[in-house]
Amino acid sequence: MILIALLLPSIIFLGIVFGFPLLSYLWLSLHANSVLTSFRSIFNGWANWNRFIHDYRYWQDFLQTIRFSVASVGIELLLGLIIALILHRPMKFRGWIRSSSLIPWALPTTVMALGWRWIFNSPFGPIDQFTTALGAQSLNILGNPSTAWIATVYSDVWKTTPFVALILLAGLQSIPADLYEACRLEGASASSCFRRITLPLLMPYIGLAAMFRLAQAFGVFDLIQVMTGGGPASSTESIALYAYLNALRFLDFGYGATIIIGSFILLSILVASCWFFVHLFNRKRSIMITK
Amino acid sequence: MMFSRRKFSSLLLGLICLVALISTTPALVASQIETISILMPAPFADSTVKLVDNFNTLYKNQIHLNVIRGPRQTESMSDLAISSLLLGDTPFDGLLMDITWLPKYARAGWLEGLDPYFDETDIADLASGAEKGNDFEGTLYRWPLVADMGLLFWRTDLMNTPPKTPSELVSISNQLQTQGKVPWGYVWQGRQYEGLSCVYLEMIDGFGGDWFDVNNQSLGLNEVPGVEAAQWLTDLIETGISPRAVTTFAEPEALRNFQSGESAFMRNWPYAWAELQKQDSPVRGKIGISTMVSLPGVEPASTLGSWGFTLLRGSNHKDAVIKAIKYLTSAEAQRVMFIEHGYTPTVKALYEDLELIQDYPHLALLSRALNNAVLRPETPIYAQISDVLQRSLSASLTGEEKPKLSMNRADRSSEQILVAAGGTPS
Repeated sequence: MILIALLLPSIIFLGIVFGFPLLSYLWLSLHANSVLTSFRSIFNGWANWNRFIHDYRYWQDFLQTIRFSVASVGIELLLGLIIALILHRPMKFRGWIRSSSLIPWALPTTVMALGWRWIFNSPFGPIDQFTTALGAQSLNILGNPSTAWIATVYSDVWKTTPFVALILLAGLQSIPADLYEACRLEGASASSCFRRITLPLLMPYIGLAAMFRLAQAFGVFDLIQVMTGGGPASSTESIALYAYLNALRFLDFGYGATIIIGSFILLSILVASCWFFVHLFNRKRSIMITK
Repeated sequence: MMFSRRKFSSLLLGLICLVALISTTPALVASQIETISILMPAPFADSTVKLVDNFNTLYKNQIHLNVIRGPRQTESMSDLAISSLLLGDTPFDGLLMDITWLPKYARAGWLEGLDPYFDETDIADLASGAEKGNDFEGTLYRWPLVADMGLLFWRTDLMNTPPKTPSELVSISNQLQTQGKVPWGYVWQGRQYEGLSCVYLEMIDGFGGDWFDVNNQSLGLNEVPGVEAAQWLTDLIETGISPRAVTTFAEPEALRNFQSGESAFMRNWPYAWAELQKQDSPVRGKIGISTMVSLPGVEPASTLGSWGFTLLRGSNHKDAVIKAIKYLTSAEAQRVMFIEHGYTPTVKALYEDLELIQDYPHLALLSRALNNAVLRPETPIYAQISDVLQRSLSASLTGEEKPKLSMNRADRSSEQILVAAGGTPS
């Protein structure tokens, strides 16, 4: 009883912050509320959901968002790990190097996205200037559906790798030094020390960084909106951008809400299945170790 | 010393009084001037600078027109306008808008009807075709500044008369290509964007169909002419009349190809005429303008694109805004815009001006195309159904899907959007 009473304030808080908007979006997704209805809500049953299931723009965006998230988070983890290992080593001016490596992360996304948009610009950006000076054709990276998304991934990696490196660095510092000493005394090579000690003990931190970053990447909006506006031919459009377009450009609030609820459900399923597989993997491993 | 300091301070006091007096005088005058503002996309804001200055001199001490320079891109411009209108407080009195935005803005209740300000004779003064797309559900909301319509450009050195029907265009192209006179027959806008919808609209109408019937709220994409139009465009690519790269072409790419003599026909807007007649243009003096091809017995169609002024409901200076709109769209203003910036006029008087016709003989051809102007679907959900169409067409043009299947899909998706958004279910 006391337990529930103590939990009550946080339950109420979560209810107001998360529960209420979700429920009101759920309600809105069962109604037509658009410029056609003069912004009144008119019950339309499953019409929004029927459209949602068949909306190939949404499913294209969904796959693109996953592609963006997996590619950028994957590269960030790899680069972040390498940078963390470097920053972990004792060296001169370590404090300075550590703090200056955080600068990209400290920049506001809009500012850095605008910067990258100019760098990738065709024909005035430095990259295009460089290739045309060499006599090659203009690359037009942001104008081509097959390369524009790579540019967005690149910019995201540039900005958020320091964040991942920071978390992994904290993880590295929590590993006791005597473990490495023991490892060396046993005559193990550096690479097997890394595989047997560093990686397993760093796993919780890698998982944490991956979760933080995936959640953020799945909802990417500002970077895409500023860099490409979702184009060309919506090849870089993310789910969040599509929801925004439906509400603010197409003035269809009912369908905008449907996209948000639909994506929420899909993301929940995705996270649950990820958690399930990680759990399975961990159990298997602990069984192996005890054997 | 003391004296001089006192003298100095009294001098300073006097100076302050003087400055205060001077600075309040214009403020007193300014309060009698009605300051109005109109939001325009950057290119229009730049090209109307001189006209706006003239207007402000003409109405000195009465009205001051302030042009807000919006973004360059059409979509960013609409996003900006919508986000300020959704907040309910409009920082501008008038808005220069694209023809396809009108139904959405009108239905949202943001626009003031213009019927009290423009009467029958004003409308009769518009060139035939330019009166289209200014009203929604029987109310006039927009007054046109410039017209734009789809044209078929052809090479006068390669043929005597332009093709009238789709099959003529194909056979002339084939002939010229086999003779080795041009590498390609026909270039157009095949990239997945709004231009593709404009190309398709001309063809579905030319095959005798209709994309969207506003009165019955019914779609015609998967009916015979709709599928035929998609099939014809796809076949152009598959039979080599249009280059495969046409699926990445917007207006500039098509123009570049046609201007360098690589093709016999091009679909483009009137601005291309001036570009093709430039001194260094390889096809200078070898260009004709015609309307788009259509089946025998079917009227040719030119997609109408035009920009026009609207008055926002929240404005407190409605009469002053109307004065500005009337000034900026007057025959005299349009003459300046046509000569200096190549904007196609919307008033009849300029098309009948013998002096102007002598200097610009293609005006008569423009007038004929404007006469055949057709509108893109006049529905508040135009942006969504156009997007669906572009996607399906693109899939068919790139060979991912058969035209019949993709048009079926576009029809069904458009229907779902209409129903979900609260349109009349069918």
